[in-house]
Amino acid sequence: MPSTRASSTSWSSGSDQTSASAPPIVLDDVSLRFVSYRDKQYSFKRAALDLLLRRDGTPPAAEFWALRHINLRIESGERVGIIGHNGAGKSTLLRLIARIYPPTEGSVMIRGTVAPLIEMGAGFNPELSGADNILLNGALLGVSRRAMKARLAEIWEFTELGEFADLPLKYYSSGMYMRLAFAVATSVDPEILLIDESLGVGDEAFKSRAKERIRRLLDRSRVVVIVSHDLNALRELCTRGIRLERGRVVADGPIGPLIDQYLADAHRTAG
Amino acid sequence: MPSSFPSTRRVIPHEEYFPTPRGPLLPTGWLAVLAHDLRELARFAPVIANLVHQDLRVRYQRSVLGFFWTLLNPILMMTTMTLVFANLLGRDGDWRNYAIYLFAGQVPWGLLAGSLSDCALSIIANEALIRKIYVPKLVFPISRVLFHVVNFALSLTALFLLLVPLGARPSWSLLMLPICVALLAAFSLGLGILIAVLNTFYRDLGHLVGVTLQAWYFMTPILYEASRFRTSPWFLALNPAYPFIRPFQVILRDGQWPDPCVVGVSAVLAISSLGIGYAVYKGLEHKLVFRL
Repeated sequence: MPSTRASSTSWSSGSDQTSASAPPIVLDDVSLRFVSYRDKQYSFKRAALDLLLRRDGTPPAAEFWALRHINLRIESGERVGIIGHNGAGKSTLLRLIARIYPPTEGSVMIRGTVAPLIEMGAGFNPELSGADNILLNGALLGVSRRAMKARLAEIWEFTELGEFADLPLKYYSSGMYMRLAFAVATSVDPEILLIDESLGVGDEAFKSRAKERIRRLLDRSRVVVIVSHDLNALRELCTRGIRLERGRVVADGPIGPLIDQYLADAHRTAG
Repeated sequence: MPSSFPSTRRVIPHEEYFPTPRGPLLPTGWLAVLAHDLRELARFAPVIANLVHQDLRVRYQRSVLGFFWTLLNPILMMTTMTLVFANLLGRDGDWRNYAIYLFAGQVPWGLLAGSLSDCALSIIANEALIRKIYVPKLVFPISRVLFHVVNFALSLTALFLLLVPLGARPSWSLLMLPICVALLAAFSLGLGILIAVLNTFYRDLGHLVGVTLQAWYFMTPILYEASRFRTSPWFLALNPAYPFIRPFQVILRDGQWPDPCVVGVSAVLAISSLGIGYAVYKGLEHKLVFRL
């Protein structure tokens, strides 16, 4: 890796001691709070009134800690599956690692390029042609225009959409749209791969090819973090499991036993 | 273990502390933060290029005249205004001179006003993207301003050529134009960032922008000349747009070198605007995503 980055700044010097051994993902006592305001559009009028009447701003309607005191180190080569019930904070954790949400407390340290497959077609513009969208999406994922152009042929071949390359995206069917989004997202070479529940797409024929493509992508990535309810897929793909409950890590270890325990607990509460 | 990393892997080597640890709030601390942000923006330069490219594309695709609308719009506008105001203000009835004056003020004003009104919505409009993937939010106002700079350059050149029959003459002072454009763009960007960020917190601001720009336009000597006032009114002295527009009028119509004082004032304004915009952005950056 070229080391042209300035390393003299005081606050980043810690991170510049990165040898190959430094873990790519480190979460240090991370908490994340969501505040839902009664109305998001806190207006000027309100702000002015609050100031005049010396009210302490509008009290937020609800405060909610989505993640609480998370400590996590994920080493190079690990494939981590995150399990937990709905609302346990799985997707929030993934978004935090993707740097979409900043932590309210604590610090997150990410080393390496991140490819977040969190939602398909992030940044697609319906007015642009399929080819232009591929280039734009590639740029967002950190792939240069030239490098992305080199992959165009492969993407068209995989999606079998080559004849629609110049058609604006808004005329694509939703199936075509998904296929293109999937192909673009999986064409990158990330160091850290984040996947949120997006393993199955399209019709049966496409599905099997998609699986194969995902597998190759996993092999190319140094670190993989997957959120899914498909426990069998996780058992198959991951080496390590993390179980979240109400924003806290309640278990962390080899994926097999973790899932067994999770299932046992689920049965107990059900029965 | 990864079998092979294709060459693209080294395109974006990065490591991030998140949130960026605060240095001590000495000037050096701020400089470090700024340097970090600039490096990050450099990394996202292809995204900016793509956004500008796509804006230009979307704007002109499938309209028959395409790019010529950029020219036709101001031409039609300026013809109308010349017809009306040359008569109304009727100084010596020299409508040719007036047309060139109008053009020299109107085109840079278009850059300022267009940038500001576009920036206001630039972050809100990209909500879907911001929620799905990490992008430094500065990318959006920057790409809007760049888009308008490109448009500005194209229409300025073309209009200038069209106005040659009316007496527009190239002069050496044209060499100053790039500096004036850069200053105007920097000023627009600073204000644009400020508006874009504040607008996500107070949506009322978006409505204010249009009205304010309208009022601002009439307070700036574009339709009329400042010399028509007997005593310089307060809104001229306090008008931050005037030091930016004035050099264009001097260069393009009079073919003279702009007053260094005016350019100096505009440079100070541009830097302050960038500074304020950036400071506000840094203060609210981490709350933005929760307010979309």
